[in-house]
Amino acid sequence: MSRATQSVLVRDDRTLYEAVAGTAVGLSGVAFAVGLAALLGVVTIDDPVAGFELSVAFGAVLLALGASVVGFGVASRFGYVDAAPQPSAGIVAAAAFTGIWFAVGAIVSGAVGFGTGGRLGVGVILGGIAFAATAFPREDIGSTVPAGAVAGLCGLFLVTGVVGPGWKQVLVGYNAALFGDTVVPLIVLFASLVAGWSAAKAYGGFGARGRNVGAYVLIYLVVCSILVVLIGLVGFVTVNGLPGLFNGFGVGGAALISWPFLTNGAGLLADIAGVFPALVGTVWLVIGAVLFAVPTGVGAAVFLSEYAEQGRFTGAVEVATNGLWSTPSIVFGLFGAAFLIPRFGNQKSLIAGMLTLGFMLLPLVLITSREAILAVPDEYRDASAALGVSKWQTIRSVVLPAAIPGVTTGVILGVGRIAGETAPILLTMGGGVLPAKSAAPNVLSGFQLSASPPFVSNPALLEATSALPYQLYALITAGLSGNIQNPQEYAWGLALTLLLVVLVFYAVGIATRYYFRRKLHQ
Amino acid sequence: MSQTDTAETTANRTDSQGISTTAGETVEETRPEWTSYEAGGETKLAVDDLDVHYGDDHALKGVSMDIPEQSVTALIGPSGCGKSTFLRCLNRMNDRIRAANVDGTVELDDEDIYQDGVDLVELRKRVGMVFQSPNPFPKSIRENVSYGPRKHGDIETGLLAKLTGRAEPDREEALVERSLERAALWGEVNDRLDDNALGLSGGQQQRLCIARCLAVDPEVILMDEPASALDPIATSKIEDLIEDLAQDYTVVVVTHSMQQAARVSDQTAVFLTGGELVEYDDTEKIFENPESQRVEDYISGKFG
Ligand SMILES: Nc1ncnc2c1ncn2[C@@H]1O[C@H](COP(=O)(O)OP(=O)(O)O)[C@@H](O)[C@H]1O
Ligand SMILES: [Mg+2]
Repeated sequence: MSRATQSVLVRDDRTLYEAVAGTAVGLSGVAFAVGLAALLGVVTIDDPVAGFELSVAFGAVLLALGASVVGFGVASRFGYVDAAPQPSAGIVAAAAFTGIWFAVGAIVSGAVGFGTGGRLGVGVILGGIAFAATAFPREDIGSTVPAGAVAGLCGLFLVTGVVGPGWKQVLVGYNAALFGDTVVPLIVLFASLVAGWSAAKAYGGFGARGRNVGAYVLIYLVVCSILVVLIGLVGFVTVNGLPGLFNGFGVGGAALISWPFLTNGAGLLADIAGVFPALVGTVWLVIGAVLFAVPTGVGAAVFLSEYAEQGRFTGAVEVATNGLWSTPSIVFGLFGAAFLIPRFGNQKSLIAGMLTLGFMLLPLVLITSREAILAVPDEYRDASAALGVSKWQTIRSVVLPAAIPGVTTGVILGVGRIAGETAPILLTMGGGVLPAKSAAPNVLSGFQLSASPPFVSNPALLEATSALPYQLYALITAGLSGNIQNPQEYAWGLALTLLLVVLVFYAVGIATRYYFRRKLHQ
Repeated sequence: MSQTDTAETTANRTDSQGISTTAGETVEETRPEWTSYEAGGETKLAVDDLDVHYGDDHALKGVSMDIPEQSVTALIGPSGCGKSTFLRCLNRMNDRIRAANVDGTVELDDEDIYQDGVDLVELRKRVGMVFQSPNPFPKSIRENVSYGPRKHGDIETGLLAKLTGRAEPDREEALVERSLERAALWGEVNDRLDDNALGLSGGQQQRLCIARCLAVDPEVILMDEPASALDPIATSKIEDLIEDLAQDYTVVVVTHSMQQAARVSDQTAVFLTGGELVEYDDTEKIFENPESQRVEDYISGKFG
């Protein structure tokens, strides 16, 4: 009966048991996927499925899953199938089911009208039973029966309509309510995850192999749901933002491509309001911050890892840098407002924003550069020194090139963060809610030379400038109103533009890193 | 990597001439006879009473030996006996180890390399080094070979040189070819000089490191177990190369393989545990009729 005694290396015959368990795993996956879709609003829980509401169909599936999971366990326990269960499902599973059943007991008894003490009591009793049922029997029972019961109970609620499309629960004491169309998908997600894990264990025949399959299914489902949420988020912004972004978009004509949303301002003269000033503002902002933070950060990293003696000083610097990276951005904004603005003409300006964001970016560049430099093998330094090459030349020609990919990674991560920052810009850079095209900073042609100090000046850097996240924030706080036709559409277009700008910076960073990696390795 | 440039330029040694001489004389009396071994030819490196401490750890004890030019000198001994430490003293790579403290003198062409004011750049140009595991830079083969001369400003390449017309691609090309040729690698890589050096096999990488070292035109080449990370075929190529290089260079090679020492070297120094130089003589003599019982035991495999 046990696989160990048979010592089978190749198993190509699928037993009926495995086929059924595999189907159960697949069914859990499908339920999980549809549950996700329902949560994201792609389908609704009162959509009809084969004559039933989706919510009832969910319930039926969960009931079937629960029953079959218990069936797998029992079949294995009584030796009808070929499995290799261990003596117990283990302490982790026991703790998990204790928690789950405690929560189930407390919630259900609360819904039936128990008081706090009663709810706790029911929760503790159910939790205790679940613990005993998981920890004490053999693994095949311990990891199926509590799981099957959870799935079955959830299924029962849905089939009977105790929780369904019209369900609503006012949260006493809070000014809020729960609705069926979020709660049902959540129940389905949870129950199908538990049932899927249990069915996967049964599919693997319990034991080491079963745990492996169970963990795989669990991780796979969770990772997929994270991906779906990510894609859903981006998709949501994209779908909402596209109409605004492509408002008036055309190919051909005088200019090869006319894209008013990106090339227009929002003034009275523009027929289609655009985000040009804020777009340009954001691009310059990021460029300025990177130009400030990368040389300083890399320089400091070189000093700390190549020249300074590793010890208390470098340790203190490291702690301080990490702290600085986790400092809230509004604090940087305050610093910019109180320290930088008085030094740059006493008004909010592009350069104050650049430097503030540069200070924010600095710690991350420093940390990642330092790590990248320390990761460069000492053999390179030895080889260079043995050729009589000086330390600085070694750093410049061997250490830094080998560290560039790591440094780039840091810059990519940092740019992602600062490009979307609102609070520091709010305090240091300002800019209008709906700036006209003329308000766009003209940095390149703004430089002016003069015979007296400061010799070089650039008015564009000293003017209040808008940036995409700030404009979005200002637009929303102004109640999505203004001198434009469709503020809602405009705001979504703005959000999508911001997302795209960040993605473009990412793409540039990743391409840079790829280029330098290739250069180092082939 | 924590020491600063200053730490590297000021030697980590505590001697003043007086102390070193007195110490030398006291040791002189207890020395066995064979240390007065005079190898044939001009002395290239004269090591006198060299002591190295790593903190409190006395890694090398009163080593003296004369290394003749244009020959191969092998250093053998069990691991941990100080062979690498000794080798690193010869081009002052020990300066890069903070804990290391060197006493005694090493003369290169009768000039003490540990005296004040020694230019480490010049010293290491004249005394090159090849390491135990191949360590080419993650750059192209060409860049690896011309690295030293370019950094020393002997060859101008780079954007500025190109723009100002001072670039010397022909000279670089010739240098790369000559060095690779000398390291017996040219034929294998001449059609892919711009490929990354990390794509070469281990043996090729090690010969590239030798070519890189030859490109700065050294007089002495130090090799620390240059073949220990390589397979037998690559090893024999390196051994042939070592014998060949001895026609033009003074080669000092550390090895833990006695066959290798016997095959390639003209004279052999045997270090034994504790950091002592126990016997130094013609290679034939060491392997056939050593003076010291400990060396005989070590060579016949009875200990070590
Ligand atoms: N960087 C170092 N720091 C401290 N001790 C070292 C260092 N390098 C070598 N030693 C010590 O010096 C002794 C000789 O080492 P080494 O010269 O590497 O021996 P070998 O090359 O003959 O195997 C050993 O005891 C070793 O532990
Ligand atoms: Mg060694």
